[in-house]
Amino acid sequence: MEFLNPAALYSFFLLPLLLIPYLIKRRPRRLVFSSLLLLRDFSSRSLGRPWGRLHLPPIFFLQLLLLILLTLALAEPVLSVRPLKVAVILDNSASMQALEGQKSRFELAQEQARALLRDLSASAQVDLYRTVPRLEQVRGEALAPSAASTLIATLKPYDLGEPPGSYGEELSRLAKEKSYERIFFLTDHPVRGQGGVIRALSVGQPQENLAITSFELARSSFVSAQLEARVEVTSFSSKEEKVKVVLKGGGKILSTQTHTVAARKSVVASFEGFSAYPAYEAELEISDALALDNHRYAVAPLSKGLEILAISPRPGALDSLRSIPGLSLKVIAPEAYEKNMDGGHSVEIFHFSALALLPRRHALFILPPKENPLVAVGGALSRPVISGWREPHPLTRYINFALFRPTYARTLKPLSFGDAVIQSPEGAIAIAVEHQGSRYLVLGFDPFPYLGQANLPVSIFTLNLLEWFYQGLSGSSIATGEPLRLPARPKGAILVNPKGEKFPLDREQGLFSRTFFQGFYEVDRGEAKEILAVNLQDVRESDLSSLAPIQLREEPAVAGGRSFLFSLWPYFLLLAILLLLLEWFLNPPVTEP
Amino acid sequence: MLPAPFTPDFLNRLEALRLRTRKEFLGSRPGSYSSPRRGTSLEFADYRRYSPGDDIRYIDWGIFARSDRLYVKLFREEVDLFVYLFIDASGSMAFPSLKEKFSPACHVALALAYVVLANHDHVKLHLLQEASAPSASPFYRGRHRIMDCIDFVSSLSPQGPLEMAPALGEHLRRLRRPGKAIFLSDFLMPSSSYQQGLNLLRAFNLDISVIQVLGRQEVNPPFPRGGLALVDSESQAEARLEWSGELLKEYQERLERHNLQLKSFCHQAGIHYSLFVTDNELSPFVLETLPAIGLFK
Repeated sequence: MEFLNPAALYSFFLLPLLLIPYLIKRRPRRLVFSSLLLLRDFSSRSLGRPWGRLHLPPIFFLQLLLLILLTLALAEPVLSVRPLKVAVILDNSASMQALEGQKSRFELAQEQARALLRDLSASAQVDLYRTVPRLEQVRGEALAPSAASTLIATLKPYDLGEPPGSYGEELSRLAKEKSYERIFFLTDHPVRGQGGVIRALSVGQPQENLAITSFELARSSFVSAQLEARVEVTSFSSKEEKVKVVLKGGGKILSTQTHTVAARKSVVASFEGFSAYPAYEAELEISDALALDNHRYAVAPLSKGLEILAISPRPGALDSLRSIPGLSLKVIAPEAYEKNMDGGHSVEIFHFSALALLPRRHALFILPPKENPLVAVGGALSRPVISGWREPHPLTRYINFALFRPTYARTLKPLSFGDAVIQSPEGAIAIAVEHQGSRYLVLGFDPFPYLGQANLPVSIFTLNLLEWFYQGLSGSSIATGEPLRLPARPKGAILVNPKGEKFPLDREQGLFSRTFFQGFYEVDRGEAKEILAVNLQDVRESDLSSLAPIQLREEPAVAGGRSFLFSLWPYFLLLAILLLLLEWFLNPPVTEP
Repeated sequence: MLPAPFTPDFLNRLEALRLRTRKEFLGSRPGSYSSPRRGTSLEFADYRRYSPGDDIRYIDWGIFARSDRLYVKLFREEVDLFVYLFIDASGSMAFPSLKEKFSPACHVALALAYVVLANHDHVKLHLLQEASAPSASPFYRGRHRIMDCIDFVSSLSPQGPLEMAPALGEHLRRLRRPGKAIFLSDFLMPSSSYQQGLNLLRAFNLDISVIQVLGRQEVNPPFPRGGLALVDSESQAEARLEWSGELLKEYQERLERHNLQLKSFCHQAGIHYSLFVTDNELSPFVLETLPAIGLFK
């Protein structure tokens, strides 16, 4: 006999509580009786028993048996003809690093999981899963409970947010596909509902927390050498908090600021005029539940100006860009892109051209052909009227759109994602996309022939978009879980992650996807090192007081999936009910005299 | 207004009854009970030598013919009866409520009183209470006085403790005429107490009957199991105990022994004894049980 819910067996420890009503001196019920003549010596006799006031009538043992049967029924005993198949899923997202007293939520989950496994029979088969970066089996084979317990002890939480999608559906699908008898899901999310197979065990309590939700380093403009840092601190606390924000560079404290953050509000600390270092760290000096989000990392933006590779069938049309200071422009024909794609440029401008796939760098698409990966190109417009624009947005600031009148434009429609930044009544003519750390801007018009004082709005828009790309190059970091784009490197390059683990990089390897931890990733190219900052960028993980609840659903039964199991709990329950009736019969409720 | 059990049919059947006495008393006027004195009834008593002045109608001429001596026949005198109904009005008679114990006891007393009144005898009601002065009705005679009896028993409510002998003594000091005494009580008191009381009645040369009145809750206490603090309805003494089926059984055995002891004492003392449990019907008790023990003819 095995138990599908062995944790219920711990209820046996509660059985001695049944003695309490018999042990404690209950206040006797005061009743008037005609004469105590015949009852006089009963009291001394009942109190003079060798075991004092403990009176254990036969009904006590009946009640004890009843509780034992109910506990056994709760533990869901089954008779199975093959080993029990159980899945243990550990939530290893960033919020599981939050401390609950001395231990983190993940450690508590590990302890609970190991306790669950201890209760399983040795013949049971355990599949161990973790939730991030995606719901996947830790080792691709079924383990014995002891082996799974050992493996659980070695797991660590990642600095990753929750994957998109519903846990409830994922778990139901898993239960259905793998025919598990029981799935134990240990998470810090509150759980609603309870499935027949899925048992979600919630660890941790709602906690108050403060977090750095943004750390951006930028030059004041792409022609300026002066650095500015912007640190956004968000409170997930119910009360006002005073926080000290520290800016560090090269391991030294560069500046500190103290701010007061109102409950559930954000505050921005701006730093200026600090020394140049290759890498910077913003730290929140506060002792709260989650230490992970009290740190953010950023690398210094490019010291040189904006290097642009323009791909255009008409090179002369981009000449006006050369008049902008701090800009280095190289114009090539579309056919030459393959040769030049790995150059040192940071932004690509596809002028009347596009690639089949998204480029690896920030890219501006001007009047792209229909075969492009981002937008569907619509009809042509002559001197379109601008009817709407995103505001506030770095691309639209300082622009008088009443005077913004491109001569020719085509409407655009995002294929999958993207924000319409500028719109005409016929449709969007500028769409901005941020995807996997890269910024893409698709324009349905060509701004470059109109640069200069003759058309100030378009000129300002051009400067805005160059600034936007520049900010994208330097200011924000990569989110944990997003792949690192690795530019061309010599043979034998090594990547070192924040935990000090080294990963040799193949020459062809363009991406490094194991960005599970927040911090600096160093690419050692031999003579030079490149530093990349990776940060947890999921504010949901920092909001420890209101994590999204997981809605569990009853899984549909799998035909023939559990025919090898014979549930005993209905019989235990039936027996318990019979005993309850017997107890009621033996000890009926008594009416007051 | 007569109480509910006193239906016309019940009253008719009561009128057919007569109290039986085992002693002869001196009555005040002719009646239907034997007197120790010789009188003019039809019941022959004895012979006596003729004395001048005797009524010659009572000379037994047969004896004169055989023995040539004059004897006169003597007949018993039949007189009326004085009945004393003593009703225990202590606190225990109000348990669990008046309606469930004291009123049924009063109904029994009223039924007995009605039998007495219907036979043109005298009845006097005594309520036994320790706290107050002796409460007794005047002698009633004639069935119309049953309403006075009802008013009297309704005038007092049972309360307080009762020491039987002293309380009876107060009433008996005022008792002038011997007769039949019927005592109604739960007798939930030490045996010495009721023995003293009943012996006191015997000392007054009364023909005694005892009716023990118990409530169903005294026979079979419906206490909840577990710890109880029982309070005596008379003395307010408290006893704490763990009530169980075992205790219930033992209590019932004790009550049975107690009742048996009372019955045995009554038997030895020549007292009629009967037990009335108040949830039983009054009519069968009065019309069947009491005649069976010899209280009625």
